[in-house]
Amino acid sequence: MLATAGAAAPSVFSGGATVIAVGVLLIEFWMMRQALLRDQVRLYAAQSALISVLAVVVAAARHLPDLYVLAGLSFALKAVIVPIVLRRLLRGLGARGTSPGWTDIAGSGALSLASTVLIAIVVAAFGFFSVAALGIQSPVLPATALEISVAVVLVAFVLMIMRRDVASQAIGFLSLENGVSLTALVVAAGLPLILEVVFLFDLLVVAVVFGLLIRVHHGRAESLSTADLTSLRG
Amino acid sequence: MSLLVLPIPVVQFLQVATIAAAAPGVSGVIARVEARLQGRAGPRVLQPYFDLGKLFRKEALAPEGSSWVFLAAPLAAMTCYLTVPLLIPVLTTFGLPLGYMGDILGGGFILSLASFAVAVAALETGSPYAQLGASRAKTFSAITEPVVLFVVFTVALVTGTDLPYALAATVRSSAGQIVRPAHLLAAAALFMVILYETGRIPVETHSGTNEFGMIEEARPFEHSGPYFALLRWGSAMKQLILYTILLNVFVAPWGLASTAQAASVLLAIVALLAKAAGLGVVVAVIDNSFAKLRLFKITEFAAAAFLLAVLGVFTLYLGGG
Repeated sequence: MLATAGAAAPSVFSGGATVIAVGVLLIEFWMMRQALLRDQVRLYAAQSALISVLAVVVAAARHLPDLYVLAGLSFALKAVIVPIVLRRLLRGLGARGTSPGWTDIAGSGALSLASTVLIAIVVAAFGFFSVAALGIQSPVLPATALEISVAVVLVAFVLMIMRRDVASQAIGFLSLENGVSLTALVVAAGLPLILEVVFLFDLLVVAVVFGLLIRVHHGRAESLSTADLTSLRG
Repeated sequence: MSLLVLPIPVVQFLQVATIAAAAPGVSGVIARVEARLQGRAGPRVLQPYFDLGKLFRKEALAPEGSSWVFLAAPLAAMTCYLTVPLLIPVLTTFGLPLGYMGDILGGGFILSLASFAVAVAALETGSPYAQLGASRAKTFSAITEPVVLFVVFTVALVTGTDLPYALAATVRSSAGQIVRPAHLLAAAALFMVILYETGRIPVETHSGTNEFGMIEEARPFEHSGPYFALLRWGSAMKQLILYTILLNVFVAPWGLASTAQAASVLLAIVALLAKAAGLGVVVAVIDNSFAKLRLFKITEFAAAAFLLAVLGVFTLYLGGG
């Protein structure tokens, strides 16, 4: 699907939808540079809100009233409730004397930020072009959004691999789910509402479990770093 | 509306003259707005002109042991900055005869040549700060160069040519061309490169006196008198040239003259100055809202710009850009 020289621009709807999808991907990249847990949770909320916006845009343009409900529910859960739950569970995990939410996860990257971004670009490119080669067409959104959503999932993996702290890894997992819901929006916008809702409530369970695991880890190791876990080797 | 039609060479000359005459004023607007945002009265908008006038009247000194290269560099840089406005759409939507001498890459090469001449002159002086500035400027321009290349690739993929006039015409043609992700990403990446190239805040304090953080600003340390004035004027011109490329090619290619009528050319001059002042206000707000990055964090800034530019090319190749 090579864009030919001087190709006609996509329609305003598909251009705008792709821009929103690119925004989701950029937020995923942005998470890599955040040094504060609070900011990472905030970015996760922003990313979730952006996906809800995309759902509303699709609902309006393609006349799928189900999606309004889904967008509202997903906004309430992923942009409001899950961040609040995470912030509650992670309160007080900072070093002694720091205010809650300031939990320092700076410098947990395995490589420098610029190298991480370059690796993530390569991985995202792999996702882009391998999915583009499948030639999946969607009735509701431009196919580019599907390729971008796969890139979001892969970049979330890079985030989880490169950051050596449990908090970033949990946020990476949750934002990976954001990538999956973007995929779902492209290929299965007509999925029965009840299934989507079940997934969303699953996510709430995931957030609580992660929060508890992080607390337990912090209680045992006095830090959020995963470096201490290597001592578990037999 | 008068129907006085200007000869084409006059329009061509006006492109260069507008950039040369207005450049210090744009710097003055930015300095003024920045000061107002900080609650200071700030210098007059015309202050850069007075500074240049004062410097032109002073005597010129050269460090002992420096050769003719030291004195030739400001002239060479100025020549480059006077050449580039011939290549880009400053005032007109239609290409002027000399506008096809070079494409966007050609303009970029000429700007790099100017920066190379200044860097060589800085090395000539033997002064540690000027050399440090030159070495840093060359190092970081090597990592922002790929961003510029990818922005050019985006332009080439969108229009099928890399003439700046073609892209401006494409952007004007429909709303779909404006909201397409490739265009937005390339414009954002170019804006970040411009922040770097003009020595603005996330990269460098523009008016600071802290030598350790200096990149571009450190290079003319040893020049004085008219030569220093030429370098200052040149860097203001470079700023306005880059703003013009961003505004008239990417972000807001409206208000340009489509004929050589005197009235519409005059309107185009006014529109360009208004747009550049508007962009200057945005830059001043950024200057006041962010902290300067540590020198070794500038690679992160460049990586972010590179990410935007590469994503722009990717979305185009996927067919949805």
